[in-house]
Amino acid sequence: MKRMINSAALGLAAALTLTACGGASAGGGTGGGSGTDGGTADKLVVWNWGAADDAAAAFQEDVIATFNEQNPDVEVEVVSQPFDQYYTLLGSAIEAGTGPDVALFNGGTQLKSRAGSLVPVTDELADITGDLAGWPAFQADGETYSAPMFLQGFPIYYNKAIFEAAGLDPEAPPTTWEELGAACDTITSSTDVSCFALGNKEGLGIEFFLSGFGSGIFTAEEYDAWIDGERDWTSEHARQVLTMWSESSADGWYNEGANSTAMFNDSFDIFSGAKAAMVIGLSSGIAHWKQFDEFLGDDLGFMMPVTTNEGTTLALPIEGGIGYGVLNEDKKDLAVDWIKATVERDAQADYALAGGQIVSNTTVELDTDIASAQAIITELPGSKPLLHTSLSGDTLDLLHRLGQQLLVGEVTVDEAAAQLQASEG
Amino acid sequence: MRSTGVARWLIAVPMAILALATIYPMLYTLNIALKTRYDYVIDRGGLTTTFAFQNFVDAWTQANMGRYYLNSILVTVVSVLLILLIASMAGFALSHLTFRGSRAAFLLILAAMMIPFQVIMVPFIKTLSDFSMINTYPGLIIAYVSQFLPFTIYFMTAYFARIPKEITEAARVDGNNIYGVFGRIMLPLGRPALLSMGILNALFCWNDILISLLVMQSPSQRTLMVGVSALRGQYPDNVPTYLSGVLLVVLPLIVVYLIFQRQITAGVTAGATKG
Repeated sequence: MKRMINSAALGLAAALTLTACGGASAGGGTGGGSGTDGGTADKLVVWNWGAADDAAAAFQEDVIATFNEQNPDVEVEVVSQPFDQYYTLLGSAIEAGTGPDVALFNGGTQLKSRAGSLVPVTDELADITGDLAGWPAFQADGETYSAPMFLQGFPIYYNKAIFEAAGLDPEAPPTTWEELGAACDTITSSTDVSCFALGNKEGLGIEFFLSGFGSGIFTAEEYDAWIDGERDWTSEHARQVLTMWSESSADGWYNEGANSTAMFNDSFDIFSGAKAAMVIGLSSGIAHWKQFDEFLGDDLGFMMPVTTNEGTTLALPIEGGIGYGVLNEDKKDLAVDWIKATVERDAQADYALAGGQIVSNTTVELDTDIASAQAIITELPGSKPLLHTSLSGDTLDLLHRLGQQLLVGEVTVDEAAAQLQASEG
Repeated sequence: MRSTGVARWLIAVPMAILALATIYPMLYTLNIALKTRYDYVIDRGGLTTTFAFQNFVDAWTQANMGRYYLNSILVTVVSVLLILLIASMAGFALSHLTFRGSRAAFLLILAAMMIPFQVIMVPFIKTLSDFSMINTYPGLIIAYVSQFLPFTIYFMTAYFARIPKEITEAARVDGNNIYGVFGRIMLPLGRPALLSMGILNALFCWNDILISLLVMQSPSQRTLMVGVSALRGQYPDNVPTYLSGVLLVVLPLIVVYLIFQRQITAGVTAGATKG
């Protein structure tokens, strides 16, 4: 018996020794870049979330090549993390001292709420400030923490064929909230598709709604104050947003579906599949003009937010989308080179076309005949930042949950407004 | 006779519905996995007509599954062996040996089961980092063993407690020392429970994402489930490829379950009857 137990123990010890050797040889034996040892000098550890398509992969290769032109002896280790675990994982890794040297962030809430963990790069990026748009989403307390790679906005796309089938003019989309409501009534009564695509009700819908329609609801002064942090959820127009969201659902604008905790925004597929007449989509990443064009072709239309209240100034909601923040001060110089490589003109120009991106580099001209893309470009000069990305992480999470509850009538507009106001502190 | 037939039908129909509800997600996943992205977007619910097996090739390539399969198998096998070895010994000691503090030890193990990993993950990872065990297989194995051991000890203790002490005492009278009793009596008698716990722990290790993500940060050392999860971006894009990856991950588990299903069921029901 002793022999059996000894053999088992010996076997396990051997296995552990072998696996230990494997770990050391494959991984270099260290954690991420910003660990307690500061990482190795000839390696830059970069975290992002996977974008597993050929265009994104090619862009990443371009960025690495540009970086390596300046730093030929530095190995770049790109670690793609699942997005739904990304910020939890990153926060834990930073706290434990095992985080990466550089990490990808969504502009606005996600970056600003973590500014305390990031290394400011204001001076280091000063020389490229004039070449890029979308900086405010990556600035906090007078410091710059990243450079925007792409511009992310919430344009409203519509399907001209469905408009035509419903008897609406496909070249004259609604311009006021009343017209939009009438169009939705017509679409839902004369076709078998929904007016707006909303897919899985994971809570994101209301942030798209807030930013997508915000400029037609808030006055310019209210809008700017909101972005600057002076928000009053109990104000007439903030409550109006919640009311419109609730009523549009009650009026049957959206496709049916239960509230869910799983993050799975499939409203874009619903729109691509011509099962909804309109969608608040994106300008870059996915769910953009190029992706919709592949399914809808010339039937793809773009429309501006609609006027809900008089005295408002319609603006395309768009701002810096994603960018890399520096976590390891010891590798700040390398990290800055990495950030600059991500906004390098040639790489951005190639990716803009191949991947369907509205890139931040203003010297890049988008050479496409897709009309909605050109319409978005035309509206850029008068654009405004997204309303929801100026919220704190806690308030944004609460907004998602209340958005779901408003859809099913579990909370009143007044209750939701009060809760949101309280969360603002 | 007739009433027996009716009773059978009354049982069979809901059971059939339950079986269908259980298997439906797998069939749905398989159907989507065999569609092109275009077909998925245009007609999500319809049966596939394209049989896009290329999705499986893409998932295998994009998620680096060859390497990750090896990583997952290595980590799972070693972790499960360690868990079973330690838990069976601990279960035997707690159920059949009298020693000072055995009850306190059992309560401590019970308490450990009630602490969610999320609560301790930061200090845990920091400790692993201090011992230079981040990005090492032993680091992940230790994480799995420490996380899944308490329940297995609890289960084995409950299972071994069913075995009459007269049997172990008789074995001692026959000249077996304590290791002989453990190896010759307890382990063979505990085989169904060990098999059941082996499968369940293998499932935990195989399906884990969070612990693996925290410990294995280097892409080359990731486990399979993490590799597949990384196929998703901020907004899931190519769902057929993603679901193809999911099917490739669960396939080995299904095969293992089909082989051992009788033993798994026996082990679970046996261990559940006495605490």
